[in-house]
Amino acid sequence: MTVPAHAYDPEAARSLIVEVSERSGQNLLACYQCRRCAAGCPVGEETGYVTPDRLIRMIALGDRQAALENELVWRCVSCYTCGTRCPNDIQTARITETLKKMAKEAHLEPLRPKIADFHSAFLESGVRWGRANEMEFMGIYEVKGALRSMKKKDFKSIAEELKTQADLGLSMFKRKRMHMGLQVSAGRKEIQRLQKKASQKKR
Amino acid sequence: MDIAYYPGCSLKASSALYDVQSRRVFEGLGIYLKEIPDWNCCGATSAGKVDDFLAMAMPARNLGIAEATGLAEMVIPCSACYSRTLVAQNRLEKDPVLKDTINAELSRKVGGGIKVSSILEVLLTAVASGDVAKSIRVDKKTLKGFKPACYYGCLQTRFPEAVPVPDDVENPQGMEKVLKALGIQALDWSYKTDCCGASAAVTDADASDALMARIMKDAVARGANCFVVTCPMCQLNLDAYQDRLGPKHGIRERLPVYFITEILGLAMGMGVEELQIDRHLTDATTLLKELELI
Ligand code: SF4
Ligand code: SF4
Repeated sequence: MTVPAHAYDPEAARSLIVEVSERSGQNLLACYQCRRCAAGCPVGEETGYVTPDRLIRMIALGDRQAALENELVWRCVSCYTCGTRCPNDIQTARITETLKKMAKEAHLEPLRPKIADFHSAFLESGVRWGRANEMEFMGIYEVKGALRSMKKKDFKSIAEELKTQADLGLSMFKRKRMHMGLQVSAGRKEIQRLQKKASQKKR
Repeated sequence: MDIAYYPGCSLKASSALYDVQSRRVFEGLGIYLKEIPDWNCCGATSAGKVDDFLAMAMPARNLGIAEATGLAEMVIPCSACYSRTLVAQNRLEKDPVLKDTINAELSRKVGGGIKVSSILEVLLTAVASGDVAKSIRVDKKTLKGFKPACYYGCLQTRFPEAVPVPDDVENPQGMEKVLKALGIQALDWSYKTDCCGASAAVTDADASDALMARIMKDAVARGANCFVVTCPMCQLNLDAYQDRLGPKHGIRERLPVYFITEILGLAMGMGVEELQIDRHLTDATTLLKELELI
């Protein structure tokens, strides 16, 4: 697989690697490109040429756009295999998780919007009710996806998605694996207050 | 013995069977699960991808509640909840400023000290004391028919930051030891700690089907007649999607995906309905009939 060349910009490189290292808590400068991480990454076949080592290299070279918009950032399943095996203890999942947030802050359209929708819908449900309610967050997730497809007039994918989810939903319903009641925790108020305080501090 | 218990959201919804089984099986071993009051969602892996502060604050609140029970240990059967809670506990210990910030809003504050355990850690103490072996009520020969591939997935042994890991990272043996105490020989295989894709099964089906296909193929090639798991996310994925990924990846075999608590419960003489094994999405009772366990 050909690996595209990334331009090297010393100024941009310094600020990007410092930002990602600080936010992810990973020492990216320790990476010596041995590719032990790449050998074990289970989604390696899905992410094109971008493996953990190459993602780190993009950041080291200061290619912000490539670092924020690539398949590994979105398709990394946070399995922590790369970081557990890295001789320098670099946990790339923390880096992809950081880049997702940075992409959002830069108002970039996520490369894999469904993945972004899922995680926000899950967390919002957990904070709103104190407990994640599967039926509710899956509903929100599906609606967000359908609205996006509708904007693109992509009715085929709406129909396909509906059919897959309906099939799964039906078999889960039959096997009593679906819970209809709403789960709540009174302590959600404490979590919500903490969230508010943290977001005020950020501003 | 009483032990604090954090079920987490999935054990109250799609994996409610795991909650029911865990209580019954532990009771059979003389361990009483005390669900901590008004617990909240731990944030799971989603929090780490959306909001780093919540990823610490959400499990922290549960730690405070658990400590207030006065119990020395808390068991968390779900791997994701276990991982998030253990990581938060470790981080707060190292970062007093973060701990104070979070504690400021909590009615039950985090001090530190309660032992956070996976379900296997607790079961292994019952193996060591001989309680597991003593709990067997069925003919041991019937149990020998299980040829399980023990599947751990990611979050039992791999963590986003350094925490004390209770089992071998690359080749964990906890489930194998529990099953051995029942006279069941688990198979050696290569994909026990590989990822099933977790939420990618919903959001990125091609990727997760490819991952699960590799897991299925190796288990089948080794002659497994079932999976045994501890994580509700792994269980649901492998249980729900075999019919989706099978045709795509040329896999004709279907394997039941048992929670470890189901095998323990069956060995203790509990029935399919009592354990709610009839709630599986891939047939899990035919094998039990063949083994004359039911
Ligand atoms: S294993 Fe670690 S040091 Fe080696 S290439 Fe990957 S991130 Fe860099
Ligand atoms: S954590 Fe992400 S990058 Fe690392 S091995 Fe797993 S999928 Fe690949």
